[in-house]
Amino acid sequence: MSAPVLERTEPESVPSDILACNPAQKELLDAGLLTTGFSWVLQMPTGSGKTWLAEQAIEWTLEQGYRAVYLTPLRALANELGARWKQRFARWKVGVYTGETLAQGRSHPVPFADASLLILTPERFDACIRSWRSHWGWMPEVELLVVDEIHLLGDRQRGPRLEGTLSRIRRLNPFLRVLGLSATLGNRAELADWLDGIDYHSNWRSVPLTWKTRRFRKAEDKPAILLEEVRRCLRSGGQSLVFVQSRRRAEQLAAKLSNDGLPAAHHHAGLMAEARGNSEAAFRAGNLRVLVSTGTLEMGLNLPVRQVVLYDLQAFDGIEFSPLPVNTVWQRAGRAGRFGLDTEGEVVLLAPSWDRNPDHYAQGRFEPVRSRLTEPRVLAEQILVEVASGLCRDVEQLNRATAHSLASVQQQALPVAPCVRTMLEAGMLTEVPDEREPQRRLLKATRLGRIAVRQLLAPESVLHLARQVNEQSELPFTFFDLLLLATTTPDCEPLLPADFEELDALAAQVAQEPSRILQAPTSAVAERLGLQGRRLLAAVKTALVARAWTRDGDATTNAEAFGCYPFEVRRLAESLERILTSLVAILSPPSNRTEQQDGTAPPTPSIDDHVPVLERARALLAMVKHGVNEEAITLTYVAGIGGTLARRLHAAGIEDIESLAQAEPAELAAIRGISATRAERWIEQASEMLPQHSAWRLREQGPAAATMPGDWPVSVDPYRLGRAQELRVIRAAKDWFRVTGGLEPHDVARQATGFSCDCPDHRSGRTCKHILAVRLFEGDTELTRALERLHLEREGAAPFDLFALWFDQRRETR
Amino acid sequence: MKLTQPTHLETRAGIIPFPAYIPVTTFGDRYPLDQLVRPYLARLAPAIMVSLHYARPLAENPEQRPRLPVLIDSGGFASLFEDARISEENGLGVLERIGEEQTERLHPYDVLEFQEQHADVAFTLDFPIPPKLAESEGKRRLELTIANAHWALANRRRRDLALYACVQGWDVESYRHCAVAYADAGFDGIAIGGLIPRAKDRDLLFGIVDAVRTVAPGLPLHVFGIGQPELVGELFAHGVQSVDSSAYVQLAAQGRAWGDASNRIMHASPTERLQFALHNLAIACQASLPLSARRVVFKAREPGAYPSAGRTPRTSHRVAHPPSLYLVGLGPKSTPEPSCHRGAHAR
Repeated sequence: MSAPVLERTEPESVPSDILACNPAQKELLDAGLLTTGFSWVLQMPTGSGKTWLAEQAIEWTLEQGYRAVYLTPLRALANELGARWKQRFARWKVGVYTGETLAQGRSHPVPFADASLLILTPERFDACIRSWRSHWGWMPEVELLVVDEIHLLGDRQRGPRLEGTLSRIRRLNPFLRVLGLSATLGNRAELADWLDGIDYHSNWRSVPLTWKTRRFRKAEDKPAILLEEVRRCLRSGGQSLVFVQSRRRAEQLAAKLSNDGLPAAHHHAGLMAEARGNSEAAFRAGNLRVLVSTGTLEMGLNLPVRQVVLYDLQAFDGIEFSPLPVNTVWQRAGRAGRFGLDTEGEVVLLAPSWDRNPDHYAQGRFEPVRSRLTEPRVLAEQILVEVASGLCRDVEQLNRATAHSLASVQQQALPVAPCVRTMLEAGMLTEVPDEREPQRRLLKATRLGRIAVRQLLAPESVLHLARQVNEQSELPFTFFDLLLLATTTPDCEPLLPADFEELDALAAQVAQEPSRILQAPTSAVAERLGLQGRRLLAAVKTALVARAWTRDGDATTNAEAFGCYPFEVRRLAESLERILTSLVAILSPPSNRTEQQDGTAPPTPSIDDHVPVLERARALLAMVKHGVNEEAITLTYVAGIGGTLARRLHAAGIEDIESLAQAEPAELAAIRGISATRAERWIEQASEMLPQHSAWRLREQGPAAATMPGDWPVSVDPYRLGRAQELRVIRAAKDWFRVTGGLEPHDVARQATGFSCDCPDHRSGRTCKHILAVRLFEGDTELTRALERLHLEREGAAPFDLFALWFDQRRETR
Repeated sequence: MKLTQPTHLETRAGIIPFPAYIPVTTFGDRYPLDQLVRPYLARLAPAIMVSLHYARPLAENPEQRPRLPVLIDSGGFASLFEDARISEENGLGVLERIGEEQTERLHPYDVLEFQEQHADVAFTLDFPIPPKLAESEGKRRLELTIANAHWALANRRRRDLALYACVQGWDVESYRHCAVAYADAGFDGIAIGGLIPRAKDRDLLFGIVDAVRTVAPGLPLHVFGIGQPELVGELFAHGVQSVDSSAYVQLAAQGRAWGDASNRIMHASPTERLQFALHNLAIACQASLPLSARRVVFKAREPGAYPSAGRTPRTSHRVAHPPSLYLVGLGPKSTPEPSCHRGAHAR
């Protein structure tokens, strides 16, 4: 699971006015476990005071004169804890390091070396460990490392990096002890063993939870069951929190409950922060008694919830459905019966009648945290980090280092040597002779490898970018092309899935974007970019979102236009910033002889490029960072003008550097935040910088993407159309057709209002495959054209086609 | 600062309890393993010893100074180098290193000035007398050593800087003669140098120690460069208060652990060498290490513990010892000699 970036959370802890510990806390304190020097893994239910225990361990560490580090995956929680602990631990300096400050171009308020308590996201800490020599002034003095939500070790994206980080810091600082916190661990003892520590588990909860399962035969039965359960809760004086899997469902259900007379509202990350805050406040005050929410409320927030209803026990990742993990169910269930907010807690699961074992959720058998280190891409990245950071120089050392990994403890095979060979062949690693033993070969990261490590990217991402920009062509890369290269790397997140209903609009937008890459047919584009089907479709949509962001810098409007959340647009911008930074590094000339020698020199730009691709990539990086377009970005070439001022100037009519050079000082000085002195200096600088840095150089030229027109018949599902081809139609009478070839035969009749079929699919309101088969039988030109389109795509002759991507079930070729 | 009895030494950076094993380290980039180990020395050792030459980077990087007493010797060991020459100026011994382009000079003034800025314990400028040196030259070096020591005592400005007078010689009698010159002069301690090439002759070694101890019974006695744990124990039994050595880190640089000659990792990684160094130092200082700090050392003992490239690891990670958290330093079973010495310990 990937934790969302929440706008507002509250740290889990016992209220400050509590005079006595709860039984679990007391047991731990009485045993003196916090101060023994052990590493330990602590598993206690949500809301039972784990953070408070962590605070006691931190305080003891600080009083001994050492430093403590607290890792939390939620940036908002890091900020909340920072504000709280600056007061709680006022005798020491507390620093918060989440990458936000650096992203805003500022240095940290508290330098690393000055902080006694450091609060970081795992990614930020990983970056510190990778450049450990730069942090050697404080790293050895860390005696305690608290890892909140340690079950993230099993997360596909974040888990391997967290595992690698823990492994490296423990080798660099053998005195470090680790305190892992989680409510949902299936293999607590194994994790403790890996950390050379002990484990502790308590089921104690201030408000016990009762579990209840309600079965349904058809999906249409669920709203009525929900209404019944929620009414029961409200009658008893409680409030209800309903978890659903999509924003749309949250809105629909909340509306239905409101129509049924219940004080209900929906809650999801797509709402403005103010709207979410108002809902939460109303819920706390009891004015709202039902909240229907997506997963955004499953972590952090304390609300007076008596009843949690899990309306959906399956999750959709944009491609397929899968059951919710037990861990996720318990995270959500933990919102009920919070200490001090209610005296009862209930969890209601809505399970289909064919689900034979819905009660396994209540048993709380959490999924074990499994290391992902064996996945080749992941292992490749970690090997590269070990070599680039100077911790391992040959395969034997890598083998010994990985022998201490969680994967090794879990008896997972780690093919280190084959992975190293692959990296050598790919040019991410190279071999150099040992100066002291010339016959011995040492591993060294190449320039590309170092770029990947520095930007916390998978080697595959960097290789993908390097291969793409090395390809020569008469057409230059456009901004959209470069964004598409970025969104097709494994490190782009989030990748925004596209709904079928969006395809027309997306096709129209793609058709307006100048693009060199999308001049080729769909299959060629997929082959080139290494992605297929809906994953490539998602990459295209994500590139469009990013391009829109660079035009107006408005996350809210763009989120609305593309059907995603504002925080996703901002997260996308941050992710692209890293990827584009590496692209600029790849394209930049080597900075020293060593880089020249390791054979990974940047590509030679096409002689037909008006503007070197490096210049365009640099401009795009700045555009993404500041959310400004290619005209306004030229304003930032002038020293002293950043993104904020560029937007302000643009809004005032100073659209680019040419306009600035021609502006009058008084005109500029009238703009907020610009003095007369600065205005004169900027005008002078802008004049001097022309023509080398004019906005004209960045203008987009070349043809737009050659896409299939978005004229797919709205009522026709391509999947059903494909199935219709396999059916046989017999005309039984003038307006009556018998269709066979499926599970059972069906009759289709032509009526005044159209065709009618006796199958359940048509009865539910859809244009079923039987009707489509009859229309094809009758030579329907609209369907015939649609079929031709499908055939063209299969033959690789069609222009780039988003619809073809939609029903292509393959994901990627690399 | 006053000594009442040699059970400890008070310095401005803290107390050094006796007996003390003081690890030698360096500042600067010359020895990467020292950079890794140095931040952890305060957890295990009571103080650190640095040769003057390797202490100079402290001047530019005072933030690297660890939070424990720093002992800085004079760098006089360099007189053993081929390009070195000992000259006399106004009755004092000056060390010259004659290079191709320039000559470096080390005057007692240079030594004391630096030590007063950066040291908590200082050692006077002395000139080791190797075993086969001509007696006349040995006598000359001895007299210059004594002169330098008295000069430093007379010119010391910082009253909280502990000043040890360095004793040299070639036999028991010459060492005694040198110690007599210091006994009631007002030094804060006496340090015996030049014992490394003589260490294999245990009678000579302890004869020298006993002679110096007898001459100055109330002063703390330090021995340069002897670091093998079993030898250190005997020195303490003969009334020595402190020793210094870099053997712990030199062994670690070879991927070796003290107390187990067969326990070695060829081509150890930087962090493996760090763990060996901490293990060796913990043994020497009789200090405790967390279990996780010993994992490399224990793992290295298991046959086939580290599989060849490409093979699946045979066992999961299990430490060979019972899961007790803190393990006191293991007693030495056999102590391999370090293959080289460097810095102040080559005396």
